[in-house]
Amino acid sequence: MITVLSTIYDWSLIWQYRFDLLSGLEVALEVAAAALVISVVAGVIIALGRMLKPPYSWIPTLYINLFRGVPALVSVIWVYFGWSLVLGINFTVFEAGVIALSLLYSAFLAEIFRSAFLAIPKGQWEAGAALGMGKLTVFFSIILPQAAKIALPNVGSMLIGMVKDTSTFTVIGLLEVVHVTQTIVATTFQPFVLYTAAAGLYVMVAFAFDYIFRGLEKTLSVPPTGSIAKLLTSRKIRRVERIVEKKLAEETI
Amino acid sequence: MDFTSYSNGSTDRRVMVRLRGIKKSFGKREVLRGIDLTVFRGEHVVIFGPSGSGKSTLLRTINLLEIPDEGTLEVVGTQYWPPSSRFTASRKITELRRFVGMVFQQFNLFPHLTALENVALPLVRVKHISRKEAEEKAAEMLKRVGLLRWAAYYPSQLSGGQQQRVAIARALGMDPQVMLFDEPTSALDPEVVGEVLSVMRDLAESGMTMVVVTHEINFAREIGDLNVFMENGMIVEAGGREIYEASSNPRTRQFISAVL
Repeated sequence: MITVLSTIYDWSLIWQYRFDLLSGLEVALEVAAAALVISVVAGVIIALGRMLKPPYSWIPTLYINLFRGVPALVSVIWVYFGWSLVLGINFTVFEAGVIALSLLYSAFLAEIFRSAFLAIPKGQWEAGAALGMGKLTVFFSIILPQAAKIALPNVGSMLIGMVKDTSTFTVIGLLEVVHVTQTIVATTFQPFVLYTAAAGLYVMVAFAFDYIFRGLEKTLSVPPTGSIAKLLTSRKIRRVERIVEKKLAEETI
Repeated sequence: MDFTSYSNGSTDRRVMVRLRGIKKSFGKREVLRGIDLTVFRGEHVVIFGPSGSGKSTLLRTINLLEIPDEGTLEVVGTQYWPPSSRFTASRKITELRRFVGMVFQQFNLFPHLTALENVALPLVRVKHISRKEAEEKAAEMLKRVGLLRWAAYYPSQLSGGQQQRVAIARALGMDPQVMLFDEPTSALDPEVVGEVLSVMRDLAESGMTMVVVTHEINFAREIGDLNVFMENGMIVEAGGREIYEASSNPRTRQFISAVL
């Protein structure tokens, strides 16, 4: 049985087509990364909109509930074929993929950010206000940095989801992992081997992002821990210490 | 009824804060039921009373963290509430807060910033001075509250008493003309209450105009020029320090003997 297995399944194909598979992964990561940037910015804005008083909060709420419910496959077909038919806008497959993902994930991220903003005690807003800061200043200097840390693990999960969702963009011909795999399968007739490789790539990405986001979280923790954070804050700490030393010296004179 | 006549003679007669007919409800509950209060320059006003009496709400009205339903607020000669125009209202409120400092029960330090940055941030963002100057000034303020050596520490690394002193330094950095204290020692362990009160005592001696909501009757007795006893959203009695020894009002006497 084992000999049969090894003759039927040619695992060396993975090595043979490694560059094709990796180029598929590169495309998937590029689409996901571009969509992440857009979704984070849009997600923050939508979250803030959702926190306004009604009726202003209705539109963001509707957006969130609408796009959280749409599957990535439907979204990309809608953007790539639908928009070009109705609006006459023609996107490249890459652009269509980025837009489709951004529409969905800005809705998910908006909810993540909203809960992160609400997790910041009201006293932080009040302290900023009592010092004469405007709402925008309080938001950007005080609330956002703290909320970002809270939201970070969930943003990491979303990014993994985005990379996986790029697999459906094979329908519009985006040369991502699944599309590349299909092409290789068409000539080698080894679906099990090659889809195992594809699955392996997605899992690797998930592990990598988990590692990166845990590192980021550690860097953002207070007081900063980890070598990256120490490196980033060492200059600041030295500056503070210089000021303190100067003041202490003044005292002794 | 105005309770200004009780203030001691050492203060000049410049009005820093004047509240007239302040009323405030949260839903159906009337928290402030017509408050008149005047605070003169250099005066130390202590507000005390049972919880739920509206003393914190009254204090928060002075920097408009609570917007009164009725009544007027005047600070250093300018009327801030009701606003002259609703279009400039929020700008006027921000302006008011630049010279009214506030210290909260829960400190409300910014946990993601060091002690020095906590003090320097509003200087940069509100006073628009350079970061270098702001940090110099912040160090000066931390020195004043005896925490210069802790400048590079984060709030989570400091004791409650130290955190509250950083909060005082942060408020003082803005060069306020009036300081509001909302139960500044209520969240503290008993052994660190003293260090916060000592900073407040120094501040009082330096001539700062202060309005303090507190349960520390002994401290109140020490610094209070005008001592206001509140209950059920109203000022029951206000007077000099003799209020703690021999109030003519039975309710005031009862409260003081209960908390002492």
